[in-house]
Amino acid sequence: MIPDHHFLRNSTLLNVNRHSLLRIFIFSAVWLTLTGSDTSSWIIGVPAVLFASKLSLMLAPPSQCLVSVSGALRFIPFFLYQSFRGGLDVMRRALSSQQLLDPGLVSYVTLLPEGSARIFFVNTISLLPGTLSAELHENTITIHTLDRGMSIWANIQTLEYHVAALMHISTENKKGL
Amino acid sequence: MSWIHIIFALILLPAIATGMFRILRGPTAADRMMTAQLFGTCGVAILLLLSAGMNNPVLLDIALVFALLAALATVTFVSRTWRDNNKNNHGNLIQ
Amino acid sequence: MEILYNSGTLLIIMGVPFFWSGTVGLIRFPDIYTRLHALTKADNVGLGCIVCGLALQSGSWTVTAKLLLIWLLVLIASSASCHLIARSAMQKNIKPWMRS
Repeated sequence: MIPDHHFLRNSTLLNVNRHSLLRIFIFSAVWLTLTGSDTSSWIIGVPAVLFASKLSLMLAPPSQCLVSVSGALRFIPFFLYQSFRGGLDVMRRALSSQQLLDPGLVSYVTLLPEGSARIFFVNTISLLPGTLSAELHENTITIHTLDRGMSIWANIQTLEYHVAALMHISTENKKGL
Repeated sequence: MSWIHIIFALILLPAIATGMFRILRGPTAADRMMTAQLFGTCGVAILLLLSAGMNNPVLLDIALVFALLAALATVTFVSRTWRDNNKNNHGNLIQ
Repeated sequence: MEILYNSGTLLIIMGVPFFWSGTVGLIRFPDIYTRLHALTKADNVGLGCIVCGLALQSGSWTVTAKLLLIWLLVLIASSASCHLIARSAMQKNIKPWMRS
């Protein structure tokens, strides 16, 4: 699914190198952010970056974390807007003089495959308006909602769709969207 | 020295202090632990504001460490302390 | 520059009420799950506003990148620990509060 050059695709060695280079680049950027423009910090930085890249490749193999750039560009504004709405919603309920809570538990069956996509989905649910992921069993997520009268399904489905696009997973054929 | 940032940091400080009531009231250990999480996010915000207000970039690094430690504290709490009275969960931290 | 600085101040002013409503929710809400809602959502939005405001005022790329890194870290940490606490509470059979 990665947009790749034809001659690179069949070579595992080159693929691994490309992934390692990407990780090394990301961790170097993080180190640069942390330490600023001090060149002598790289005495510790170079080993730290190499170690972190090696460790991250061991803990999260590249096959599990392919992130699509176009998916991210659509996911980030959606996420920022929804979590802002979530904050406003909580503020309204916390500061109002009446009791505005009507909590309850609902369950949602996700089509996302096991692994990083599902974990990411579960964690982002908690930042959406009125929902909090309480438990994950196989593919069933128990969601605690602040208000049972609130329409949360459309939101969660859109989030699932965005996460699928972000992680290069197609749910269209299973879901008939 | 920028007073406006320091004033906002001072407005946030009582928000942490008020959160301490939850430590007193509980009722479960996790409710008390949530105040630690409040310390994490609110403390980070205060440090960021102070760093801008006092023009001291070192405080940004302290905020970073705060954020990391708050996360570690909650994970350790949930996986170790809050499970002890569950019978069959000993030694089975990742579940 | 004046405009950037002032809109940064505006964002910081916007962030403060979110922190306060997180604290009020933590004190006022009836059970552990609803308190988790208040804490994670409100505080993250508040921190987001303050981070964006300070980034607008800083006028330096390194500071902006560091601020965004801190925010991202807090975002990941709090949503993960929120789920962990809620899950342990469910496993301990703590019943959610219901409106009666």
